Amino acid sequence: MDKLIDDEMLVTQFKSGSQKAFDELMKRYERKIFGYLLRSVRNYEDAEELTLEVFFKAYRALGSWEPKAKFSTWLYTIASNLSIDYHRSKARKPVYMLEDEDVIEARVVATDISSNPEKQLEEKERGRIIREAVDELSSKQKAVFMLARYEGLQIKEVAETLGMAEGTVKIHLHRAMKKLQTLLRPLLENNEI
Amino acid sequence: MPKCNKSEAQAIDYVYGELDVSQVVDFERHLSTCNNCTRKVNTYKRVLRLVDEAEAELTAHIIAPRNLEAKLYRRLAEVPPVKPTLSSRLSDFATGLLLTLREQKVVSFCLFIFAVISVAFFVGNPFRPAPTFDMSQIDSADARIEQYRHQDIQRSMEDVLRNRHLRNSDGWDTVSQLNRVKDQAQGTNWANIAKKHLKNVHSEL
Ligand SMILES: [Zn+2]
Repeated sequence: MDKLIDDEMLVTQFKSGSQKAFDELMKRYERKIFGYLLRSVRNYEDAEELTLEVFFKAYRALGSWEPKAKFSTWLYTIASNLSIDYHRSKARKPVYMLEDEDVIEARVVATDISSNPEKQLEEKERGRIIREAVDELSSKQKAVFMLARYEGLQIKEVAETLGMAEGTVKIHLHRAMKKLQTLLRPLLENNEI
Repeated sequence: MPKCNKSEAQAIDYVYGELDVSQVVDFERHLSTCNNCTRKVNTYKRVLRLVDEAEAELTAHIIAPRNLEAKLYRRLAEVPPVKPTLSSRLSDFATGLLLTLREQKVVSFCLFIFAVISVAFFVGNPFRPAPTFDMSQIDSADARIEQYRHQDIQRSMEDVLRNRHLRNSDGWDTVSQLNRVKDQAQGTNWANIAKKHLKNVHSEL
C-alpha cells in the first residue's frame, strides 16, 4: 500500500471496511511498538504478547476512535497503559517507588558496579547495569524518558500520549535525568567513558 | 565570572534539545563563561550516551513479532464482534428506510423516480454496467476471522482423527472430542462432518 497515504487516511479506510488498511497500519507500527514494549518490559515473549494486545485493543476501538491526536500517539497511549499495568501486576522485583529514595537506589547500583573495582567491566555487563538503572526510574519517569528519547515524540506528544500536562512531562523528564545521573555516577567517574 | 543564574532544568532541556532558538543562543553564551553549567551539560550528555548504547544493545537485532497478523485475527475470532461500524449502521438505516417505504407505495414510487433523476443528473447514468470490484479489497474482518476459525476447526478435527488412529483412544474419548468440535464448528460444514464421524463411532461402540 502507498506509503504516501497518511495514517489517518488509512484509519478512515478501515472504518469504511478495508481490512487491508489495518494491515498496513500494523505493518507500519509493529516494530516500533514492539521495540517500545521491549524496552519497557525487557522480555521478548512478554513484549510480543503485549504488542498483540496493543493491536487487538486498537482494532476493537478504532471504529469509534476520533482523530484528536495522531494515530501513532494513540497507539503509544495503549502501549503505555498496558506496560504500566504489566509492571503493576508483575511487581517482579522490589520497587523503590518513592521518588526521593534516589540515594538508596544509587547505592544498590553503585555496589553492583564497584563489585568489579579493578578490572574493566565487560561491555554486556555494563549494558545490563545501565538498563537496570533505567528500570529504577518510576514507571512515569521511564515512560516519559523512553517516549521522548527513543520514540521521537515531542514533549507535547508525550503529554498527549500519557494524558499529562506538558509541564508535568518536563518535570518527569528532569527527574529521570537527575536520577540516571545519580545512579550512573560510578560509571561517569570512569574517565574512559 | 558572572554569578550563575541557570537552573539544572535548563541544562537538561539544552541537552535534550527542548530550548527554543533564542534560549539556545542565550544558554550557549552563558556556557562560555560558566564552568559549572558546562560540567553539568557534559555530564548529562554522557548519561544519555551511556543509556543510548545500553538500549541499542537490547534492540539492535530487533525484528517484528512473528505472525502478528495471524495471531491478531485468531484472537479477534475468540471474542464477540465490536460495536456496529459506520457502514453497518448506514446499511441498517437504508434497510429501515426501505421497509418504511414499502408500506407507503405511492410515496416510495415518487421518491424512487426523483432519486433516479437526481442520480442521473448529479452522478451519471445509474443503469450503466456496475464496475468490476477488486476482490482483494473486499476482505472484510468477518471474512478473515471466519477463515481463521475454519482453520482452527480443521486443526481440531485433524487432532481428533489423529488421536483416534495413532493413539488408539477409546471410543468414548473420541465421542466427547467430536462433540466439542461439533460445538466449535456450529454453522459450518465441519459440524456435519463431525456429526458423520460421531455416527460412525457410535456404530462401532
Ligand atoms: Zn551556569
